[in-house]
Amino acid sequence: MRYIDIAGALAFVEEHGPGGDDTAGTPVLCLHTAGQSGVQWRHVAPALAARGFRVVVPDLPGHGRSEPAPGGPVTELGVYAGWCLELIEALGLERPYVVGCSIGGKITLDLAARASGRLAGIVAMAANAWTGGTPSERGLRRELADVAAPSRTDRTYLGTLAVVGRSVPAERAELIATMHRREDPAISNSDLIGWTTHDLRERLGGVRCPAHLVVGADDLWVPAAGTRAAAALIPGARCTVLDGIGHYPMEEIEGFDGVLAGWLAELGSEVAA
Amino acid sequence: MTTEQVLRPDTRTGPGRRFEEFTVGERFTSAPRTVTATDLAEFTRLSGDDHPLHAGPDGVLQGPFGIAVAMGLLQGLGLHGSAVRGLLDTHWSYRLPLRVGDTVRLELTVVRCRRTRKGDAGVVTRHMRLVDEQGRTVQEGTTSALVAAAGPGPDPVGRAFGTLGWGEALVAALAPGFAESLATWDGAIGLRAGEHEVCLRVYRGKVIEVAGRAALGPTFTVEADELTWTELVTAPANEFTRFAMSGRFGMRGNGYEYLRLTKALHLIVDAARGIA
Repeated sequence: MRYIDIAGALAFVEEHGPGGDDTAGTPVLCLHTAGQSGVQWRHVAPALAARGFRVVVPDLPGHGRSEPAPGGPVTELGVYAGWCLELIEALGLERPYVVGCSIGGKITLDLAARASGRLAGIVAMAANAWTGGTPSERGLRRELADVAAPSRTDRTYLGTLAVVGRSVPAERAELIATMHRREDPAISNSDLIGWTTHDLRERLGGVRCPAHLVVGADDLWVPAAGTRAAAALIPGARCTVLDGIGHYPMEEIEGFDGVLAGWLAELGSEVAA
Repeated sequence: MTTEQVLRPDTRTGPGRRFEEFTVGERFTSAPRTVTATDLAEFTRLSGDDHPLHAGPDGVLQGPFGIAVAMGLLQGLGLHGSAVRGLLDTHWSYRLPLRVGDTVRLELTVVRCRRTRKGDAGVVTRHMRLVDEQGRTVQEGTTSALVAAAGPGPDPVGRAFGTLGWGEALVAALAPGFAESLATWDGAIGLRAGEHEVCLRVYRGKVIEVAGRAALGPTFTVEADELTWTELVTAPANEFTRFAMSGRFGMRGNGYEYLRLTKALHLIVDAARGIA
């Protein structure tokens, strides 16, 4: 775990490697969702490391323990993608896999579109190429002008519960939703502006690394059709719809490290093929 | 609540179900029915609507054919005998074309039971859905029938969404957290189901009046059709946020106050589920 200067501000990065060596293993960069932090990967990261991976979990600028971006809250996901490339460079990650969820999933797709050659493969979860303009940027900007907008924390809590999959035990769903209350609304809303305005439709055709898109069947925010459409734009990409799972597979699925390791192995064998 | 009903032998000659025997939330599924070329020809002849849309092997059955079939499948459920005095209304939507060779079944949910003012009968509103073999809704809507009552009542209020009696029972069932979450609030919350609306007038956490309307109108009204309310109170958990996010609940009035009352609305739904 360390603080490292990326793009003019200190970034908090969690690192786990096999046998306690944080710099050993196949690198995997794990990206969190809007307004949240690397804590979403707390169960997955050490377990994935024990399977031979060098797991790197950053808090995006303004999130968790990272300093805010010098230019203020980020409303452009491409900025986060550029930031991730700087991080990959600074840590000396050799052809890492990238795994992300929600805005993290869309940042993952953006990374693949701009730097396929530097990646071993991607797993983009709960992401699509284009939202179709929902939620509306105008509404989000209005809410940004009043980020203490009524009952924000209750809406984050209940809104999270509503998009967690139906197969997830109540206590786990409750923990996820309670932890998601920890957000800076100015940052979350800016993230969502980035999410809703980022259009990757013209760029996904250029992805050249192995790609796997994943979406939960119970994800009310990201309908499976949009994820399927995004996968169809990427040459050779596969798409998985997870039954009974919602918007946060890495937090919802018990033993997600094993599932993810399986997907990464598949991506790896595609390279060899 | 899922109930499969067998054909009651007395419905052709006997009274069938009386008003009191219907319960909001009861669900029934009919046997399947396949649409034939004869159906298309005969319905076209009967209505006189010979538009090319309704002809040929790909002809689309006229919409009202679906209503007619739904009513026939309803009779097959064996609920109604001589206690039924007649059909009062039909509100219907056509979602997908119905063609020769399609097989549909009727899924029926009782969504409102309301006694008439005179008291000797009640209106039973049924949500009716024609579902194809892939499980898609082909047509749906509500129909209301007037049904003779066995006695004078009173009737249960726990699922009489949007009525005064329901509002009063709901308020009595509110958790203490409701008062806490509205400790600084002054306003009125409208709860609407179909055509029925009840207003909870709140002052500093206390509901000071339950009425058909608030003097200055509700601060906001939360509304849905009766089927949505029925599904909300019979679901295994409180899914209000999920329903609201997917557009099944609507809101009119002051959106800011509506958001501010997020937690209070959840507690209202908890109470509605508690009394159901």
